[in-house]
Amino acid sequence: MFFNSLAFAIFLPIVFFLYWFVFNKNKNTQNTLLIIASYYFYSCWDWRFLFLLVFSTFLDYFTGIQIEKSNSEKGRKFWFWLSISVNLGFLGIFKYYNFFASSFAEMFTSFGFKVSPFLLNVILPVGISFYTFHGLSYVIDIYYKRIKAEYNFIDYSLFVSYFPLLVAGPIERATHLLPELKEKREFNLEKAKEGVYQIVWGLVKKVVIADTCAVYANAIFDHYPSMNSFSLIMGAIYFAFQIYGDFSGYSDIALGVSKLFGLDLLRNFNYPYFSRDIAEFWRRWHISLSSWFRDYLYIPLGGSKGGLWMKIRNTFIIFIVSGFWHGANWTYIVWGFINAVYFLPLLLSNSNRNNMDSIILKWNLDSVKVLFSILTTFLLTCIAWVFFRARTITDAILYLKRMFTNGEFSPQYLNNERYNYELLLMIGLFVLVEWNNKTKVEPISGKRSWLKMALAIMAIIAFGTYSDYKEFIYFQF
Amino acid sequence: MAMKNFLLYVFKIFVLTFVLMFIMDKVYSYAFLQSNKRSKISFIYNSPPTNYDVVILGSSRANNHFVTKMFTDKGLKTFNFGMQGSKLFESDLVLKLLLEKKNKIKNVIIDVDVTLKSENKSDGTFLKFLPYFDDSYVIKEHFKELDDFNSFYYIPFYRYLKFDSKIGFREMFFSVLNKKGNEIDNGGYSSLSENSGNLNTEVLDYQPHRNRYYEEIKKICKKNNINLIAIMTPMCEKAIVNDYFKKVNQLYPEIYNYENIVTEDKYFSSCGHMNDMGAKVFTAKILNDFFSYECD
Repeated sequence: MFFNSLAFAIFLPIVFFLYWFVFNKNKNTQNTLLIIASYYFYSCWDWRFLFLLVFSTFLDYFTGIQIEKSNSEKGRKFWFWLSISVNLGFLGIFKYYNFFASSFAEMFTSFGFKVSPFLLNVILPVGISFYTFHGLSYVIDIYYKRIKAEYNFIDYSLFVSYFPLLVAGPIERATHLLPELKEKREFNLEKAKEGVYQIVWGLVKKVVIADTCAVYANAIFDHYPSMNSFSLIMGAIYFAFQIYGDFSGYSDIALGVSKLFGLDLLRNFNYPYFSRDIAEFWRRWHISLSSWFRDYLYIPLGGSKGGLWMKIRNTFIIFIVSGFWHGANWTYIVWGFINAVYFLPLLLSNSNRNNMDSIILKWNLDSVKVLFSILTTFLLTCIAWVFFRARTITDAILYLKRMFTNGEFSPQYLNNERYNYELLLMIGLFVLVEWNNKTKVEPISGKRSWLKMALAIMAIIAFGTYSDYKEFIYFQF
Repeated sequence: MAMKNFLLYVFKIFVLTFVLMFIMDKVYSYAFLQSNKRSKISFIYNSPPTNYDVVILGSSRANNHFVTKMFTDKGLKTFNFGMQGSKLFESDLVLKLLLEKKNKIKNVIIDVDVTLKSENKSDGTFLKFLPYFDDSYVIKEHFKELDDFNSFYYIPFYRYLKFDSKIGFREMFFSVLNKKGNEIDNGGYSSLSENSGNLNTEVLDYQPHRNRYYEEIKKICKKNNINLIAIMTPMCEKAIVNDYFKKVNQLYPEIYNYENIVTEDKYFSSCGHMNDMGAKVFTAKILNDFFSYECD
């Protein structure tokens, strides 16, 4: 059941009605309904994986309590490592086992040994990376005594499996979401309206921007050997907007839906393509994952407290692990590595926290510099996205090689019976709208909200892509 | 009170959405009436009535096999309305639409062979009729048995939304600009290039059935005094036809079997589709067999 499907359009009002009119007695009834709804939502993909979700929930709930209850450090460590190893074990088996097995087999084959690896014939459970990280952060926080263990199983289950964030985030923290779940929610008109604005804007991003860009990006990436430089540049830009619209659109809908139930989730995107350097980009892109890796990997590894080499090592580790988190493919690892390389000059010059202020443009030379740095950051990001989108590293390298060496910049007719430049105007308009609203969560609220709402709905109806349906990209992660 | 206000707010959004869909449906439908150059259907729908000597109907095996220019060179006013992927469901509708738009037709050539296996619509072709759905009685009647009929009929803009890649904003915009599409070039004939030397075998492992749309075409032609020439067009030598064409003739003896008139690989682009050279050889034969008297 996708957020942009008819099934969800029926599911959401039913849950909303039951939540506010039938199960509104206290927070326990509210949470119970949301759990039932969440499990139903998840079982719409594959009910068998529900057992995995329930087991993972129960494991972290139980080990969390045991860590807190243990009198000895040995006991705490035992329960902590049990939870970590089982969680990562599931992730490893379902997501990474085949990758490692085939990679080792390829390595042995290159040394002249013929190896036939035993591969698992399993599909990746939807959202496993997301709910595993929810559970991990919870257990780690208890172990380091940042939070108390949650004894109410209903509340804890909802924290892990709350349907708006279950399959593609944002990756919530127990410190943020659990306190909200401990209180009975009262209906708030303004919050609910904000939620509607965010849902509508999320749909614009998904069906108008992401799915339309996908049609062009696919036509270019799938036939890159016959594309000219202009098409390949456009392909990278289209994919950049596809993945941004897709993922941030999903997050907007998740946050919006949550507001309808009186719950605030962590913001996941903050106009990342207006970043002035790559460090700022990572503070604005998939914020919940970046901060997760910062808090649970980078800082435990020593963060930036050690010497220069320690900083460099830790930076490369978190970027590569972050790439690998996205998928079991070398392309994601290289994508992470490239981002670490981009980050390195900022780290060495100690300027990775230079652009913490908001962007204000005026008619002066400084603003030209700011625009130039935004454009440079975007282009660097696009180059990295080529690795993220390509099937193999070889494809990505050949794509970029052809992009830089072909030298033809003429309009090209693509396999989808469209010209390569046709979306430029739409993307330009989208960037303009985002730029003018970069201090807000979405552009619909505020003055003349009805007019903006009408325009957004018109865009969804007229410019949305429906016949060539695309799943949300991050569902596969 | 807050909840009541919110429900009212959501209701207003739904009303707004419906109104926008209604307005846009009207705007799109009007826009599609502005061009006769975008597709063969727009050409029929938005062109003034014409007196045709020959109208060609069918699938890609009509579209790629009958060279319109060779007909017109003989003084026969001809248009090839064959469409890629189209089935007899659409061919029947094209004929009905031509007559609804007051065109006069002397002869209909129709490719009837592999299309006999199915009475379904062609997903890629039937949607081209949808912009004229409200305006045309015959389209509405023809589509009445479709599963989606009620959705197309009662939900404004649903058809444009569902098939946005073919009749969405882009197509509407080009219709307003009257930008020429390539479907109506060369009198509707679309030529195919030569094969690269390795034609794949095509296997006809299905049975022909009596087809209600072909029967309907026969009736319409009879009623309107149109000479119907039903033809089975060539397949390559490698085709494993399993007596399919013979079985067609057992069902419909009036269908002319030209399956083996052109066979050499050099005349084919794929096993079921002749290239430009093959189409010319084939068209010459058809002209000779059916129109030599009129040409003289």
